[in-house]
Amino acid sequence: MDARVTSDIEAGEEAPADELLLWILVWSELAAFGILLVAFLVTGFLQADAFAAGRSELNPLLAGINTLVLLTSGWQAALAARKSALPGERRRALVMAALLGFIFVAIKLTEYSGELASGDLARFGAFFELYFLITGFHLLHVVFGGLILLLVAWRQTPGNVTLITTLWHVIDLIWIVMFPIIYLV
Amino acid sequence: MTDRNRNQLARTWIVLVAIVLSGMLAVAFQGRAPVVASAVLVLALIKARLIILDFMGLRSGPAAIRRGLLAWPLILALVAAAQLFITGMPSV
Repeated sequence: MDARVTSDIEAGEEAPADELLLWILVWSELAAFGILLVAFLVTGFLQADAFAAGRSELNPLLAGINTLVLLTSGWQAALAARKSALPGERRRALVMAALLGFIFVAIKLTEYSGELASGDLARFGAFFELYFLITGFHLLHVVFGGLILLLVAWRQTPGNVTLITTLWHVIDLIWIVMFPIIYLV
Repeated sequence: MTDRNRNQLARTWIVLVAIVLSGMLAVAFQGRAPVVASAVLVLALIKARLIILDFMGLRSGPAAIRRGLLAWPLILALVAAAQLFITGMPSV
């Protein structure tokens, strides 16, 4: 690694390799969730009655509130990623984004507890297997992303802020598309 | 990094909140009717577009990445709309 590249990285500027890695990560997430959501739609087509009954056990109001929480978190992440943001503003916005992410997790766990209390879920075919797989996988991303947001708020570099805020927006984007497919279609 | 300023990002957030609330109201009053599901799918596409262009800062970013990201929600929404259309057709 030559001296100029080393000094760029030390200064926190994004090297082309970092940007390539970022978009590989983004597309691997979108591909994984895309395949899962298409599998959900195809299985829903094959088991239409079971999926309609399964959906009636879900709580779209809590999911709507969670959408508001995650969008507000995304707004904070975007504030942190502004080129003109000062380090203090950036730290506050990253911490707020993380805290809102943890509120999303708490609401989702509340929603899960209501669904698990509704009795034998096997009568809904593959609906709840896929529902818990897809939303649980997404929830793990929110937990992990929230922890990384806190870590980056503590140890900021422009490259790290770009990486985690971009991935956070992708987690947001996935939820936005997942919501109508799982709760309504 | 986004080149949007604080006010522009706040405006985008307000529009996003308004879109979510309108979708929630539609579901609260009309349930999961196919027309509501279709409308919420369209609203999801608008939200996705605002997140990609404004929050991710891709309004002025590389065109290939922007188009690819905008295509992802569109493709899934089209598959979902096709499922809605097929399951909504009367069986022969």
